[in-house]
Amino acid sequence: MSGEKKWVGQALERTEDRTLLTTGGHFIDDLTLSGVVHAAYVRSPHARAKIRHIDTSRALAHPGVCAVITGEDVAQSTRPQRGRVPLPNSPRVYAIAYEQVRYVGEPVVGIAAVDRATAEDAAELVHVDYEPLSPILDAEQALRPDAPLVFEEIGSNVLWHDTFPYGDVEAAFAQADTIVNERVTIHRYSSTPLETFGVMAQYEPATHSFTIWGHTQQPAQDLHVVAAAFGVSPGQIRLIIPPMGGAFGNKVRPLFIIAAALLAQKAKRPVKWIEDRRESLLALGHAADGIMEMSAAVKADGTVLAIKFRNIENEGAGIDFAGRHNLLMLSNIVNCYRLRAISYEGYSVVTNRCPVVANRGIGKPFMCFAVERMMDAVARALKLDRAEIRFRNFIQPDEFPYETPGGQTYDSGNYPEMLRKALARIDYAALQREQAEGRARGRLLGIGIATAVEPGGSNLSYGMLISGPSQLLSGQGEAARVRLETDGTATVFTGGLDSGQGHATALAQIVADELGLHIKQVRVATTFDSASHPYVMTSGVYSNKFHGHDTVAAIGAARKVREKLLKRAAALLEANVDDLELSDGRISVRGALQKGIGVAQVASRAYWSLADDQPDGEPGLEALHYYNNPLAKRPDEKKRLRVQLGFASAAHVAVVEVDAETFEIKVLRYVVIHDCGRQINPGIVEGQVHGATAHGIAAALLEEFEYDQDGQLLTTSFMDYLKPTAADLPDIEGDRLETPSPLTLLGTKGVGEGGAVVAPAAIASAVEDALTPLGIQIATLPITPSRLFDAVSSGMKRYERQKQNSEYRRQNPE
Amino acid sequence: MPENISITLHINGVKRTATVEPRRSLVDFLRHDIGLLATHVGCEHGVCGACTIMLDGRTVRSCLLFAAQADGAEVLTIEGLAKGEELHPLQQAFQQHHALQCGFCTPGMVLSALELLRENPEPTDEEVRVGLAGNLCMCTGYVNIVRAVRAAASDGKVK
Repeated sequence: MSGEKKWVGQALERTEDRTLLTTGGHFIDDLTLSGVVHAAYVRSPHARAKIRHIDTSRALAHPGVCAVITGEDVAQSTRPQRGRVPLPNSPRVYAIAYEQVRYVGEPVVGIAAVDRATAEDAAELVHVDYEPLSPILDAEQALRPDAPLVFEEIGSNVLWHDTFPYGDVEAAFAQADTIVNERVTIHRYSSTPLETFGVMAQYEPATHSFTIWGHTQQPAQDLHVVAAAFGVSPGQIRLIIPPMGGAFGNKVRPLFIIAAALLAQKAKRPVKWIEDRRESLLALGHAADGIMEMSAAVKADGTVLAIKFRNIENEGAGIDFAGRHNLLMLSNIVNCYRLRAISYEGYSVVTNRCPVVANRGIGKPFMCFAVERMMDAVARALKLDRAEIRFRNFIQPDEFPYETPGGQTYDSGNYPEMLRKALARIDYAALQREQAEGRARGRLLGIGIATAVEPGGSNLSYGMLISGPSQLLSGQGEAARVRLETDGTATVFTGGLDSGQGHATALAQIVADELGLHIKQVRVATTFDSASHPYVMTSGVYSNKFHGHDTVAAIGAARKVREKLLKRAAALLEANVDDLELSDGRISVRGALQKGIGVAQVASRAYWSLADDQPDGEPGLEALHYYNNPLAKRPDEKKRLRVQLGFASAAHVAVVEVDAETFEIKVLRYVVIHDCGRQINPGIVEGQVHGATAHGIAAALLEEFEYDQDGQLLTTSFMDYLKPTAADLPDIEGDRLETPSPLTLLGTKGVGEGGAVVAPAAIASAVEDALTPLGIQIATLPITPSRLFDAVSSGMKRYERQKQNSEYRRQNPE
Repeated sequence: MPENISITLHINGVKRTATVEPRRSLVDFLRHDIGLLATHVGCEHGVCGACTIMLDGRTVRSCLLFAAQADGAEVLTIEGLAKGEELHPLQQAFQQHHALQCGFCTPGMVLSALELLRENPEPTDEEVRVGLAGNLCMCTGYVNIVRAVRAAASDGKVK
């Protein structure tokens, strides 16, 4: 294949859109089966309680009810969940609460009935006798030796704890002119896909097998989790995943699939369950809240030599993501900076909050918030400009590939140019003048600056840092199959999934280039089906992995098909393969252009004419390719590991104004300069940047899952859990930089998560800057007018999380 | 259980007569009884706007209405917007400007944009943002939606 690209690089309209704009697409709730019944769940009203007794008799007797399951049934019929990363000391977790409830909203009883309303009616008739226990909600309190235990069987609330010294940290501190200390926290929030979680399960007793339509972002892993729960072969589970109405790392709850499958087994009918919004906010999953303490060793010129980190991650009452926020934070913890040494101590702690999931950027938003808050603090300590402190510490363009102390290798980038471009776009100097003039009149105008790496693709060997070297799951890769149809069009199947990123369009662009077809001649089978789509255990849509894995797998399969096609054409044309050219759906002989044959004609013979000589020894024009990223190895003996596999980056500059009386925060301008290497479809890329940035801005200013001291979630509707509307968000301006990755076939890097990683830090920086006249430092999120007002009114100098600790101190005086 | 109710209404220009449970919501009726699946359910409490349809020419949240309340009404869903193969100018603009990603909010968003442009054929960015503030999109950050609506407005073909 020559390097020429006809389709890749163009901002083409998406192939997905016509369907979505006319028939609305085909989401899980649009599917049905004859005889299907509907599920509803009785959910725990307590954050922590023993289940003394459950009386389901009235629900069972209710007309239209087909099956009722409790934790007892689940514990009898399924095995406890194994976490994706198996813990050495794992609690027993089932699809439905067994003997105890551990968070408000945990499913306690599942009911299948002829329709959803009947199932909900029957749920009202279930009586559960609880013995409420005092909950543990705060991760720091959960670490105390006298803290109540969320899972008694593991003897503590710590799922995982480890330390990582990389480089000579003590030497760096000995050389330091100044030590800067910071403590920052991040809250619980989620990108809340507009389509809630859904599943439909069918059970076939004769073969003890299940067909399941539903949501996941890691189809192979979840298929195996479900198979393990029922003690059946993975071949007895067929998993079908229609396009999802957003996922953002949230749709990874195999326990929900197991519960529906068990209901289908008991009901002897297909069972469908579509989560409602309240259930989704209560129990689908949140980004982990966390507490980060940092200490930086700094030279007088602003060089940051080393930082010590200590992070406590609140996992809630789940085990599925144990340690993962921590490890993904750790692996990117030097961000864009030339730090020589770091140390990191991480705790993953269980509490009586909703289990956490991998919300957009998992761990990295807090990484960026913490490190960028620290850079602002260093600038303040040294009385340096916040842009200048970054320029003095950036990894320089000539240092790539750059190995970080923890063993990551940054492939390429130009961080100084990226920030320069962002500052030029916003006209930093003019804004600073405007700010100074405004301050004289009492105007609170702030400029926020944040930069970050945006990793793409994760090496799942990082789980070995938790579970040890015997863990089976490792590496990163993807699978693809390309079939040239008898009419000369192509169909692409991959183990990746569709949740709105336009992957079908991007794959069609790539494969059309490889096979010399028109983009309209390439279709992508977006509904994943484990019976037809190839997969590897790392398959799916997560971790920004598409750019360097799904793409390469599809290219690999397309090239195999191309080779088969050309061999067949050579035989038909009685020419040499090396003399053939493939373009515009036609194969011609170089130098004899009139001698040629249509791709459709060759393809047609490949399938129909089995009596032909078969150049490959087999009919058809179909090929499978498994791509295994060669960089994704196991951790070394010093726990150093290339966790993430490619590094995009971005600089954000935000301009905010805080109302001096009401503390309303307005984002006046927002600039993003991002660099994701070569772009397959700049239109799609731009949309990803906008959407992720909006998530980050909203996480910083609006969204929070707030619990009261009894563990009741206070934000269980979109009236309380505030999502941004079009009127709440600024226009997102920007431009791109393009430093191609040397590691991917197309020079691409990931792009789906970066905005959500950087924006919370940029907003915090901007609000802090606006509040300079009041001397308030921002150490937590979200920044809301009422809390800011309270902080300022009570004379506080830091906007930080205090509530839990002060309550704790009140209840437990020293 | 109260008695079922007989209703007659026009949906996308087609006359429909049906018998519904009093508690049947309009969106469930459209989706599951009529089979028009493009109107989506995002929150069922009237905030997200995914279920937005037009009822007698005005946008409503079909999750907050009972099917029985639509008796005698003219209903327009996104399925009724294109003229055969020819997309409505707003649908075209959404496609051209990448104004959708997962597409779950899109049917409701397009109908809200249609109402906005009928009332205000030349809106500013700010007016588009305020006009669409009843519809949540979790994917796009709204930037390309605003562009698409402005572009459709400047083409002047939206009716």
